[in-house]
Amino acid sequence: MESVVVNNVIAWCCAFSPVQKARVANVLGLMCVVSVSLLATGCGKTPAATFRLNLVESSKQQLTASQEQQVATILAALFGTPDEPRVPPEINLDVAKLKLAAGPVRSDIVGRKNGLYREHCAHCHGVTGDGMGPTAAFLNPYPRDYRPGIFKFKSTERADKPTHSDLVMVLRNGLAGSSMPSFALLSDAKIDALAEYVKYLSVRGQVELSLMRAYFELDDEDEGVLPQSREFLFEEIIDPVTEMWAAADDAIIDVPDMPADLDMVASIAKGKELFYGNKANCVKCHGVSGLGDGQANDYDDWNKVVLQAQKTVDGGVKQAEKASTWDMSAEERDEHRTELAWLDRFETVLDGNALRPRMIRPRNLRQGVYRGGMRPLDLYYRIHAGINGAPMPAAKGTVPPEDIWHIVNYIKSLPYDFNGTLGVDRPMVARDRM
Amino acid sequence: MRLAVSTVETKVTSVQDAPEKQETHVHVQPSSARKLSTFLSTYVFSKDHKVIGLQFLFSTLLWFLIGGLLALAVRWQVAWPWSDVPVVGKLFAQQGGQMAPEFYTMLFTMHATVMIFLVIIPILAGAFGNFLIPLMIGADDMAFPTLNMLSYWFMWPAFIAFGASFFVEGGAASSGWTSYPTLATNVNSSPGAGWGQTLWLIGLTFVGVSSMLGSVNYMTTIILMRAPGMTMFRLPMTIWAMFITAVLQAFALPVLTAAGFMQLADRSLGTGFFTPEGNIVNNAIATAGGGQPLLWQHLFWFYSHPAVYIMILPAMGMVSDILTCFARKPLFGYRPMVYSVAGIAGLGFIVWGHHMFMSGMNPALGVTFMVSTMMIALPSAVKTFNWLGTIWGGRIQFTTSMLFALSFVSMFIIGGLSGIFMAATPVDIFIHDTYFIVAHFHYVLFAGTAMGVWAAIYFWFPKMFGRTMNEFWGKVHFFLTFIFLNGTFFTMHILGAVGFPRRLADAYHYETFHHLQPLNAFMTYCAIGMVASQIIFAVNFFWSMFYGPVAGRNPWNSNTLEWTAPSPPGHGNFDFQPIVHRGPYEYSVPGVETDHLMQTDPPNAAAAAAAAAAH
Amino acid sequence: MKRLAGLFWGLLFLAVPILGVVTFAVAPAYDIWLPKDVSEHGAAVDGLFYFILWLTGVVFVVTEVALFWFIWKYDANNKKAEVKYRHGSHVLEVVWTIVPAGVLLFLAIYQMNTWADVKMRRPNMAPTVEVIGRQFEWRLRYPGRDGVLGTPDDLHLVNDLHLPIDEDILIQLKSMDVLHSFFLPNVRIKQDAVPGMKIPVWFKAREEGVFDIVCAELCGWGHYKMKGRVTFESRESFEQWLEGKYQEQEATQASNTET
Repeated sequence: MESVVVNNVIAWCCAFSPVQKARVANVLGLMCVVSVSLLATGCGKTPAATFRLNLVESSKQQLTASQEQQVATILAALFGTPDEPRVPPEINLDVAKLKLAAGPVRSDIVGRKNGLYREHCAHCHGVTGDGMGPTAAFLNPYPRDYRPGIFKFKSTERADKPTHSDLVMVLRNGLAGSSMPSFALLSDAKIDALAEYVKYLSVRGQVELSLMRAYFELDDEDEGVLPQSREFLFEEIIDPVTEMWAAADDAIIDVPDMPADLDMVASIAKGKELFYGNKANCVKCHGVSGLGDGQANDYDDWNKVVLQAQKTVDGGVKQAEKASTWDMSAEERDEHRTELAWLDRFETVLDGNALRPRMIRPRNLRQGVYRGGMRPLDLYYRIHAGINGAPMPAAKGTVPPEDIWHIVNYIKSLPYDFNGTLGVDRPMVARDRM
Repeated sequence: MRLAVSTVETKVTSVQDAPEKQETHVHVQPSSARKLSTFLSTYVFSKDHKVIGLQFLFSTLLWFLIGGLLALAVRWQVAWPWSDVPVVGKLFAQQGGQMAPEFYTMLFTMHATVMIFLVIIPILAGAFGNFLIPLMIGADDMAFPTLNMLSYWFMWPAFIAFGASFFVEGGAASSGWTSYPTLATNVNSSPGAGWGQTLWLIGLTFVGVSSMLGSVNYMTTIILMRAPGMTMFRLPMTIWAMFITAVLQAFALPVLTAAGFMQLADRSLGTGFFTPEGNIVNNAIATAGGGQPLLWQHLFWFYSHPAVYIMILPAMGMVSDILTCFARKPLFGYRPMVYSVAGIAGLGFIVWGHHMFMSGMNPALGVTFMVSTMMIALPSAVKTFNWLGTIWGGRIQFTTSMLFALSFVSMFIIGGLSGIFMAATPVDIFIHDTYFIVAHFHYVLFAGTAMGVWAAIYFWFPKMFGRTMNEFWGKVHFFLTFIFLNGTFFTMHILGAVGFPRRLADAYHYETFHHLQPLNAFMTYCAIGMVASQIIFAVNFFWSMFYGPVAGRNPWNSNTLEWTAPSPPGHGNFDFQPIVHRGPYEYSVPGVETDHLMQTDPPNAAAAAAAAAAH
Repeated sequence: MKRLAGLFWGLLFLAVPILGVVTFAVAPAYDIWLPKDVSEHGAAVDGLFYFILWLTGVVFVVTEVALFWFIWKYDANNKKAEVKYRHGSHVLEVVWTIVPAGVLLFLAIYQMNTWADVKMRRPNMAPTVEVIGRQFEWRLRYPGRDGVLGTPDDLHLVNDLHLPIDEDILIQLKSMDVLHSFFLPNVRIKQDAVPGMKIPVWFKAREEGVFDIVCAELCGWGHYKMKGRVTFESRESFEQWLEGKYQEQEATQASNTET
């Protein structure tokens, strides 16, 4: 049957004269050239980048769509968009620097490069600063999520925010042993702008979290809508955040001087004692050989959130499945259905909008690779305050400040240590062979 | 498109042959099951070398389009890094259309992979080799028709593997088409190093098997099934090239296949062929060690260097035939041409180290490979001079096919000469892994082989489909492609002179390369124009298949055996067994009325006298 | 119209050598040419580049012009002359086999010395610095005051390489994870960093300045990001810088460091 149709079509076409056929061929050709040029003028520009809502938190707080919308509106009014940032003057951030860092990568009239964040940071840290850029899932460790406002490597006490210098230092030196590179080759102005933008994203993320959590505190008469008052917005939500950031400079750890005439060998011996002792108890996690092979079944704070969310969902699903609906009232059945819908949605969010939780490993101290910096000062900070967001506890209060220097000296000797003797002529251990 | 019908016909010497008569049969209608199985065995799993050749042709032309689009995405990023990419940007809506850097590494990896393994190699050997070999040697089909059918169908798992790799977690392979360990072997090193790389290796294996099946077939057919009178030195250059290419494939592919299995084993079975001890990638410790990354490079290039000759020799052969036909002149230096092809192939096995001068292999090997690499320029030079000698003193007919063939010569000169720079090891210190290399291989592979392929398509289209392609639009296609390709690739030589590196998603943040963005933008515009121009070819191709002017047996007045068969040939190809009386290049023989003397024309006294006088 | 076919197409092909030569001639004016060379052996490398450029340039022009000439002259529409029925020329074949062979062989042998200088004749000295390629940075390790690599007083840095001028430099090149390639465009040095191998790289810089370190072997998504900077300075300045960096590395108080 088909062959008849095809034959007829062929016959019809063959009935054209050569001139007609040539003309048709030419016209078709021209049409193609034209349509291609139209296509080539970039059909369908991608819409501008937008901030992504913290879906894990909003699912956890069981926010409705309109509540999410309200949060998004408030955030847009306060902080603008990824292309056009803004901050209320109460939040102490330099908008000029933010404008340098924000937006798509482009050169302005003066030839100065803009869009620094998108150029250097967004593909790992995400446009929203949520640590979920396209590359993030393949990195070990994951890139930082700025939104909870927790930073690991800083000079301030554990629960405090990092200073501006701390952020600049991380940008400049990178984090050795992770995928965070050193941006020392960028100009100071650019590094400054990026540090400012990180703070902006962090403040925005923290405000977002506060807003979402505030729904829990609402009375029935609020009918699920946050108060529109300035008083609520600033005193309850924004001020607590900005105050902590402002207080960072005052929270820098007070480091005692390391005595100039310190006997290094004795110090290292004392440090070893403390390392294995009960007060600091470093070996519990870092292992009896300092290889990081001690207790290792914990998660950092960012992964914990996802892990706990997963546990909530799994537990909830199990329970909901156990419930028998046939003897439920209409109301209860409705509730049950809403519960299931919420669990379903939460699961979808965790699948598509959260990184798979990864355990955190204690540092292998024999490698001589220290994420937060290898200066004795940096190691002092880490031991004194622990690492915020990670299971590394603060030694402050349990170990006297001078003794912390001994631990620092012991740790710095570990990569070169063989059976307790420092020296050049030691055989190369496989893990050390880098 | 018209298929298998043939009648006996008298020879016509005018350019436009009269249309053929159709023979009618009376059939008994078979049952639907038999109809389906007949349909499948006639059009799908056909063992007719012509159908298989066309299957290869259509598949590879489709992948050519895909590879070209991948290249456009690459060029976009190079010209305007981190800008909103058309079409592709939709995948990165969160970032406002800006592509992620790992996506860029995947783009150039798959562009090269698709072009090399799914386009150039199959179109030369699979499409043209299959279609032309039996026809040009006077055989009725290949020596092993079933094997031939399998060699096409073994490409399909490769199509599926490479195609599917785009959609797996982590995306397609992104370690370069060279797939060097430990980037390719360690699944943590890059997103595409997971399932994408595994599928890549699987696809590669299937392409390899397909090629090996084909090469066995071609060698056997050419050696054993030539028509009476067709001595080896009366074979057209196309066949010599296909023959030697088949030998290259037979000896080189097993090494790549073995290396591919070794890499698969390293990735999936925890072996350590290529992984050194204590290797830590992305904070994940390797499970095994004691291997050498350089071992892969040696094995890979041992195949991939002959592969580049596999990717050009058939085009060289076809261009030789097309040049002689449209210059109406014998090929200048037939035997030197044959020896050169053999020389290129032979030397091609001892130059692989020139891809590894900077790799950390013993520098003394840099000296030996430099010498052999310099020498391999010689047979190519000889061939170029012989092509020039072929058109000298001829009567050139400027058909589309001839234009593409002439541009092959012109562009191959550029590609070949630029190779001498990288053969020089001290110079290679600077230009290795820069755009100088990219310029070189795009000139030989695209401006060379692809032009040769288009020449071949325009030339043999009448034989394949019984109609000629539109000459006017063919010339437009040629003109635009020629201009745009030179605009895209020539300036890559000077980019390479600056040291502009390959495979960088954004090179402009280096002081050295800061000022090169406008030039790259220009090149990208040319690239867009070049890909757009191919639409003209596509329309011409498909339109002409159905509505082009009907062609007779020998629209170009060429000499070789395929032009004695009907257009298109039926099963069995020829009306009767061809007998060969002379070589394939007897054009404009003095004393002979017509300006061509086909290989099957009866012995001619005037021609014999002229031949005697000419030597 | 048809009579002009040969001229038209011939001119298109003639555009190739013309524009080709023009591109190479004009490029240096736009600074699109070999970057500044500050090394000792760079002159030899560049000299070879130019030698090959001229040689291939001449061959390029001659063959492409010949192609143009034949296309124009032997256009079927124009010429009524007899086709030159020739199957080849034994003499020509010999000539154009022997001559290129000789030239190519000469080229190959002529360059061996430079190659040996750069890659085979290692100076007998301790490494000045160890460069370790890592996804996606250059980790540097200076031997420190005791002059020995692998001791507690080593200086660890990232991406910011400083080296003294007018002295032999020996770099020990390693890789932590995947293949990288240490490329200094302005020193005409390139060497792949192979995991599991320790490869020496040596050169001598003649001039002060700040230049790029580029990674020249695909190492993953951040290959483009592996930017380093090499600063060539006088020995005193170099030592001063080392000392400053060492003080930073040993800092025990925030006031000691620059932020």
